[in-house]
Order: sequence, then C-alpha cells, then structure tokens
Amino acid sequence: MWVSIWLAVVGLVVGIGIGFNLPVFLPAAYAKYLGIAILAALDSVFGGIRAAMEEKFDNLVFLSGFVGNAMMAALLVFIGDRLGVEIYIAAVVAFGVRLFHNLGVIRRYLVGRKSETA
Amino acid sequence: MQTKYLSIAAVTLILGLLIGLQVRLLEVPQPSLSPDARISALSAELNELTKENKGLREEIVDLEEKVSIAQQGVEQAEAALRAEIEKHMVVAGLTKLIGPGVEVTLENVPGGDYIFAIRDEDLLRVVNELRAAEAEAIAINDQRLVASSEIRQAGPFINVNLERISPPYRIQAIGNPDKLRRELERPGGLVDTSRYLGVEVRIEVKEELVLPGYKGRPRLEFVRPLKEGV
Repeated sequence: MWVSIWLAVVGLVVGIGIGFNLPVFLPAAYAKYLGIAILAALDSVFGGIRAAMEEKFDNLVFLSGFVGNAMMAALLVFIGDRLGVEIYIAAVVAFGVRLFHNLGVIRRYLVGRKSETA
Repeated sequence: MQTKYLSIAAVTLILGLLIGLQVRLLEVPQPSLSPDARISALSAELNELTKENKGLREEIVDLEEKVSIAQQGVEQAEAALRAEIEKHMVVAGLTKLIGPGVEVTLENVPGGDYIFAIRDEDLLRVVNELRAAEAEAIAINDQRLVASSEIRQAGPFINVNLERISPPYRIQAIGNPDKLRRELERPGGLVDTSRYLGVEVRIEVKEELVLPGYKGRPRLEFVRPLKEGV
C-alpha cells in the first residue's frame, strides 16, 4: 500500500537526521560492516514495500528477513576478512540483484497506478 | 491495518541512521597528516628560512667588510682574498676540521649471512639523515664527503671517494650533537629500522671530532663557469 512508501521515506529522513547528529563515531575498521548492513537494510525495505504493494506484507517475515540477512552479510564480511577472500561480494551481488528486481516490481505498480489516475 | 507497516518505518529509520553514520565515518579525515603535524612541519620550515635569511645577511655584512678592506690597499685586498679563499676551502671540504658532533658506527651482525651485510644504501641513509639534521661536515672511515663524493657498492665492498672502505663503518659528523643524535634516534627513524634489518648502529656523542680534508683532486674537465651579466 502507498502508506508503506511514505512511512519508508519518513523513516529514512528521520534516520539520516539522527545519524548525522548522533554524538557517536564508529571506528573506520567497521566501514565495511556498516556498508553491508546498509545494503541489507535497503534490500529489506524494498522487499517490504513490494510485499505491501502485493498485499502480502507480513511483519514477522519482514523483520526476521532484515535481521537475518544483515547478520549473514556481516558474518560473510567477517569470514572474508579472516580468509583474505572478499566473500562479502556474494552478499553485495545477491542483495543488488534482489534490490533491482524488487524495484522493478514496485515500479510496475507505480506506473500502473499512474495510468489509472490519468 | 496500516499500523503493521510501521516496521518498514522502523527499518528505514535504522537504514537512515546507518547511512548517516557511514557518511560521517568516511568524511572524517584520515590521520595521515594531522593538523598538529602540519603546523609543526610549517613552523620548522619557517625556522629554517629565518635562519637562512639571517645567514645571508651575515654574508652580506662579511662581504661588504671585505670590499671596504680591499679598497684600502693591495696588501689588505690580498688578505681579504686569502680569507675568502680559506672560507671556500672549508665549505668545499678541502681542509681538516675540528668540532663537536657524533660518531655513528655500523657493524655487521657477527656470524651474519652475506645478505644481511651492510650495503651502500645503509650508509647513504645515515648520511642523508645527518645532512637533514644539519651536519656541517661528514666523513666515512676518514674519507671526507664532498659534493662529488660517491658511496657505492662494489661487489662485497663499499667505495667512498673511489677508495675501498671496510667494516666497521665509522661515520663522523660535525654539527649540533644533540640534534644529530635526536634525528637518528627518532622513533621509527633510521636507527630503529636499521636494527630491525639486522644492522647494529651505535651512536656516540663526541666533544671534539677531527675530520680530514678531501684528499682527491677536484676533477673539472667539462664544466666552465658561466659569467652572467658580463
């Protein structure tokens, strides 16, 4: 539903506002982990919006997916660091593909709605 | 009905937070050259230039004095010229010198392999550091270093001024002893890294060092002075 997109935008704006003003600095060594966590969250959000569009949204699936994916991605970064192989690229690719796929589905809904109202 | 989408807002909130943190993380200037280091580098440069300026002023006074002496008569002119020649001999490294300084001794690790032996680069690094610390005269195993001196690996030996020198290498430098020593013993500096590479470096501060003059003849076959504005 459309509410989901607006909620997402509001959450994003408020989150960025907090993130920029938080008096916490993360050490540079965590930049990779943070990056992959951002990607996981982005993937979850697009997946959630898509599910909302299809009226199939389920809180438990959504939240467990977000937490589980983020943790798995972080684990891949960690293992990759230990082995000297950049395994986290697997997560980047998987999330990237899903992201664009979900975006495509959402776009179809958006365009479809536009043609309805026009 | 719509409250169930609040979790999307929660996750995007976290997403925004992470993005904010990440952007700020990458904005932080990496401590390659902290402001403090820049300031100290610049102030060191300023000191250097001020000192150079002062030296040049003194030079002007000195030369003006000599000119005025020269205008008094032939004998005085000759004395002034002699003093000027003397000064340039000292600068060129042709005279024996005495002064305070440091003696740096580099010795191969006993029983060490040939690959761990001291090479020309090790000596060059020491000389470079000494010159950076404003050493006024340097000699390696009694070979005075002048503008044309080379320090060069020749098989298992090292040549300085075309003379073969052998370990232990004794590098003597006249200058401010504390400054010379400090520069060499800087953490992460030459002594530190040399020890790490298996070269034993010993630094002794000497009240009085006697450095020999350059023994070779200046070889000037191809250069001719260019008189500007004549």
